[in-house]
Amino acid sequence: MPVVEYKGKKFEVDEDGFLAGGIDDWCPEWVDYVKEQEGIKELTADHWKCIHFLQDYYKKHGIAPMVRVFSKVTGFKLKKIYELFPSGPGKGACKMAGLPKPTGCV
Amino acid sequence: MGGGTILPRKWDITDIGLEEPAKKLTPQKIEQIVNGVLEKEGVARIKTYVNTCIHCGLCAVACHHYLSNDCDPRFAPVGKVKNTLWEMLKHKGKMSPEFMKQAAEISYTECNVCMRCSMYCPFGIDIAYMISVVRRMCHLCGLVPQYLQDTVNSHAVTMNQMWVKQDEWIDTLQWQEEEAQAEVPSVRIPLDKEGADVMYSVIGPEPKFLAQLIGYMAILMRVAGIDWTMPSFDGWDNSDMAMYSGDWEIMGRVKKAHFEAAMRLRCKKIVMGECGHAFRSVYDRGNRWLGWQMHPIPIVHAIQFYAELLRSGRIKIVRKIKEPATLHDPCNLMRGRGLMDDARYVLKAMCEDFREMYPNREHNYCCNAGGDVINCGPPWKKKRVESNRVKAEQIAATGAKIVFTPCHNCHSGIEDIINYYHLPCHNYFILEKLIECIEIPEELKA
Repeated sequence: MPVVEYKGKKFEVDEDGFLAGGIDDWCPEWVDYVKEQEGIKELTADHWKCIHFLQDYYKKHGIAPMVRVFSKVTGFKLKKIYELFPSGPGKGACKMAGLPKPTGCV
Repeated sequence: MGGGTILPRKWDITDIGLEEPAKKLTPQKIEQIVNGVLEKEGVARIKTYVNTCIHCGLCAVACHHYLSNDCDPRFAPVGKVKNTLWEMLKHKGKMSPEFMKQAAEISYTECNVCMRCSMYCPFGIDIAYMISVVRRMCHLCGLVPQYLQDTVNSHAVTMNQMWVKQDEWIDTLQWQEEEAQAEVPSVRIPLDKEGADVMYSVIGPEPKFLAQLIGYMAILMRVAGIDWTMPSFDGWDNSDMAMYSGDWEIMGRVKKAHFEAAMRLRCKKIVMGECGHAFRSVYDRGNRWLGWQMHPIPIVHAIQFYAELLRSGRIKIVRKIKEPATLHDPCNLMRGRGLMDDARYVLKAMCEDFREMYPNREHNYCCNAGGDVINCGPPWKKKRVESNRVKAEQIAATGAKIVFTPCHNCHSGIEDIINYYHLPCHNYFILEKLIECIEIPEELKA
């Protein structure tokens, strides 16, 4: 699997650019790396709220949440989630939080 | 230990779903499975297909894998059949586990069963069907790419492809109803309304991640004044990845749940969202497995539904898209079911500058995502996008800024191609733009 180097850290990624080791390998530098990849200008507290929520949910349930739950818990409307993560909740936000790529037609 | 030629690999990819089960396979088990499937599917038919082929190569130039891999003959449809079924017939099913693993890689990741080759074969040999037969064998051997098998497991447990639970499904619909009401206050998403004219069904990723599409459809239904409903129970997901993995028992169960949901609600017809493979599963594969020549109740695809609404004047276009736009013709809608004119009717009504890509309609190249290939997940992504260079060239030549992809697999696949080849355009479902183009009568507005 390809390895990317960023700010002195090495990350093993799958071909969709998701962290291969999952949240065990996740660290704040990974977020900075994905931020650049996704073309996000500035990381805000709102991004971090989403990241922490996704990680907590994943640790509890072993799967990414429905976007409904994502929106309800963070209090962000779907439109706002897409503003924060232009490639969407499944690809952008999950990638940043260190979740695996969701399965299915996505 | 069983036979079959092992070829050098172009991509060195490991998939736990192929590696681990291969270790447990014995030549005896393989022989039993291969010959069992050949017998059930009709060995005479398959032998006839194989023996009728004169190796003319017309299927090769029809295949995006072959064209994108510098005309390497092993990526030609005839080459893929040669390296799977021919060898199996030659060795009378006595194959090695290594050979079966290779057959799984070929059938799941080097063919989208898009049927373009079958259309170009002068003898009408159904190559896509033959690849499906190989997948059936691989499934019975347990050799299925991990990400794909996960969606099939989800179908088996939940009847939908993304592990969506019933309370989550209902909650999502009610949420989207509220969201849509912010624009059109009288919008409803009626659940379980018996005797409604239309039951609308979608695929798993819509409630899971793309919930806005359900909200848009609710607005469209309200504006058009359609008597519609969605089931609150299993059968709402019309997709069927088991059809592609070769798990036809699960395919049949999923399809039955879908048809029966509409029957239970006594709806006059089903309208399906913008998905291609799901459509194939109701008019070609799933229905036949269940013993129906065609779907047991009327079913139309979203494209036909939009065209019908426009023709009848139930919705009106008041804003047109100015940017140049093109259409990717999904195989299961166009080659499989002939919706190309309806799609063009809708898009020409919506777009000022609609451009064709070439070749188009039933001759269009595949997205290289459908047919399960994108569902095989991240391990296979690079191979998938590199094996569809022709699509990138085809899109780039149109100069379009918008590519319409009225199928979920095509949508994700074309998005990956746009990103990988840095094409200056974006792709959309028709509904995402249609909702911006139609007139929302003043009295309905918030």
